[in-house]
Amino acid sequence: MAARRLTRRTFLQGLATGVAAGPFVSTPARAQDFNWKRFQGKELFLLLTKHPFIDVLEKHISEFESLSGMKVKWETLPEIQARQKMTVEMTASSGGIDAFFTSLHVEKKRFWKAGWYHPLNKFLDDRTLTSPDFDWNDFTPGARAGVTQPDGSISALAAFVDANVFFYRKDLFGAKSATPPKTLADLEPLAQKLHAPPGVYGIVLRGLKNANATQYPSILFPMGGTYLKDGKGVLDSKEQIAALDLYAKLLRQYAPPGVVNFNWYECSASFMQGQVAIYMDGVNFASQFEDAAKSKVVGKVGYAVLPSGPGGHFSPIYITGMAVSSQSRSKEAAYLFTQWATNKTNMVRELMAGVGVGRTSTWDNPDVKAKPKMPADWYQAYQASLKIGRQGLPEIVGVTEYRDIIGVAIQKAIEGAPAAQVLAQAQKDFQDLLNRTES
Amino acid sequence: MLVATIIVYPIVYTGWMSLHEWFASSLTGPRFIGLANYAKIVVGDARFREAVVRTIYFTIVAVAAETVLGVAMALLFNREFWGRGLLRTLAILPMVATPTAIALVFVMMYHPTLGVANYLVTVAGLSPFRWTYSSQTALYALALVDVWQWTPLIMLIALAGLASLPREPYEAAHLDGATPLQSFWHITLPLLRPTLVVAILFRSIDALKTFDIIFVMTQGGPANASETINILLFNQAFSYFNMGYAASMAVALFALVMGASLILIKVRRSAAW
Repeated sequence: MAARRLTRRTFLQGLATGVAAGPFVSTPARAQDFNWKRFQGKELFLLLTKHPFIDVLEKHISEFESLSGMKVKWETLPEIQARQKMTVEMTASSGGIDAFFTSLHVEKKRFWKAGWYHPLNKFLDDRTLTSPDFDWNDFTPGARAGVTQPDGSISALAAFVDANVFFYRKDLFGAKSATPPKTLADLEPLAQKLHAPPGVYGIVLRGLKNANATQYPSILFPMGGTYLKDGKGVLDSKEQIAALDLYAKLLRQYAPPGVVNFNWYECSASFMQGQVAIYMDGVNFASQFEDAAKSKVVGKVGYAVLPSGPGGHFSPIYITGMAVSSQSRSKEAAYLFTQWATNKTNMVRELMAGVGVGRTSTWDNPDVKAKPKMPADWYQAYQASLKIGRQGLPEIVGVTEYRDIIGVAIQKAIEGAPAAQVLAQAQKDFQDLLNRTES
Repeated sequence: MLVATIIVYPIVYTGWMSLHEWFASSLTGPRFIGLANYAKIVVGDARFREAVVRTIYFTIVAVAAETVLGVAMALLFNREFWGRGLLRTLAILPMVATPTAIALVFVMMYHPTLGVANYLVTVAGLSPFRWTYSSQTALYALALVDVWQWTPLIMLIALAGLASLPREPYEAAHLDGATPLQSFWHITLPLLRPTLVVAILFRSIDALKTFDIIFVMTQGGPANASETINILLFNQAFSYFNMGYAASMAVALFALVMGASLILIKVRRSAAW
């Protein structure tokens, strides 16, 4: 309590100084220029999430402090706890959070509807607030779409962009003279060919409910399936049924036993133990495959873009970003931090550490090319995936509930229930959810 | 007064919330909807009904196994033998460990291809199980963790009960030529009953509310095969932000625990002598 009161007092003092100094500082000539030190002396509070992107960023926050002359305090929590804290703080209108790290694939629409994101459009257009070298158009189209709401307001600046890619064992593929599949039709025969249990299983994908919902679109999108059509749920379409049939069959027949409850942790563990030939998941897991302390398959993993299908060629992408809280008392100062965290310098640092980012310029950066942490085909697969990126989850308020609904359907299908039947139930629950939350 | 406020306020507030529809992230505040949430959990929500049955089933399986094993262990440790103190200390160790930590260890032990559980099972000549990785076995695998951790509690209480039993009935029985099994069945068990009811009461209340091991190990899956009331209401409140509905489930769980306790207390009264 005492700490908060102190913060408020400091803030008020800062405000008073700012007001007093105002007329002298903002002379017309200077107002044209961008100045990092504009909010010198202010204090920011950030709510961050435990994430590889943040691990890298945290090391450099002191650099922002000396650049801007602001004091930055932050708290880093695991994702779920951070979301709970965010909900409590915002519902209570405490105003304590200035900027926060947001998982847009889960929170985008819910937080937007709740009015928790401060729209950044005006800030981005304001030359006095946005550094000339920031370059909004440097973000990939998928990354820009991922942070933009239906009404055109920009809720965050894209930080980490995850894409689903195709991981495979080059040695096993070589022995059977196989190549990564071009289309979905090649996928099952390939899994069958490489399947030699109990030594090697053909394929692994996430089975655990909720977690599996982010991997399912790797099959669903190329099949031509979507989540919504004219605002109505279409989980029972024939493309959905075909996609779930394939997803469940692959896991039932060619995956390690128990896959129905595998989260990414179990999937990548069995891949790194050398038990699996094919694994499709988020591109960022690759850094551990190449870590000799954790993985038995270092140097044996190939990276490719996902197979295409009758519905087209897609890679489901998931975006996390840095956002400004609508309840912040210093939104413009918080925006400076947000902008700094996603600028070119920091994004190159992230990429060098093996964290995927959605800025085109980073790819041609000489530092990244000179000291690649990952194999060349990882960079190629990731870059190609971003070009065909599509938001992996439906952009609705009840994302978590949707993930549970489809997640249960997928698990039931893996355990042998007919896809059409479980999807009919899922559609019913999904539409019920949409009726409750989207109107 | 302060204590009353601290205890009573959350209960009353939960009850009050359960009469509202409120999404914690929405702009609109709670809306009073009377008993609609309760109508939905009783009539409309199949997922909740399944969770209730599952919660009760889990409790019965786990507590029954714990009672049988706990009494058996108590009888064993009630005898004098060399190393008894050390073994008894080792036996109560599981109870001291943090459930979350245990759950994480069991997750690794249960892994179908990499875990030690299936290795042991195969060594014993059985075919491997899927443990928590199949909807047929998940609930039992979770009950096994609960049994592993909480059997010692029943043992401790039963041991205390055994220590206080009078010697005379046994001597009389011995003179009358009763076998050890007969004296266990006709003397020990009836005399131990009040103690055991207390032990079962403690364990049942706890088992009905089990959260940590399920949340860590299966999150209620596969499908919803291990989703108990507590897991479901956590999801409603903190994943779906459906606060009012979650509150009504909390009240229902409270009623269930209360009901189970009342029944057991009644059983104990009727057993008193």
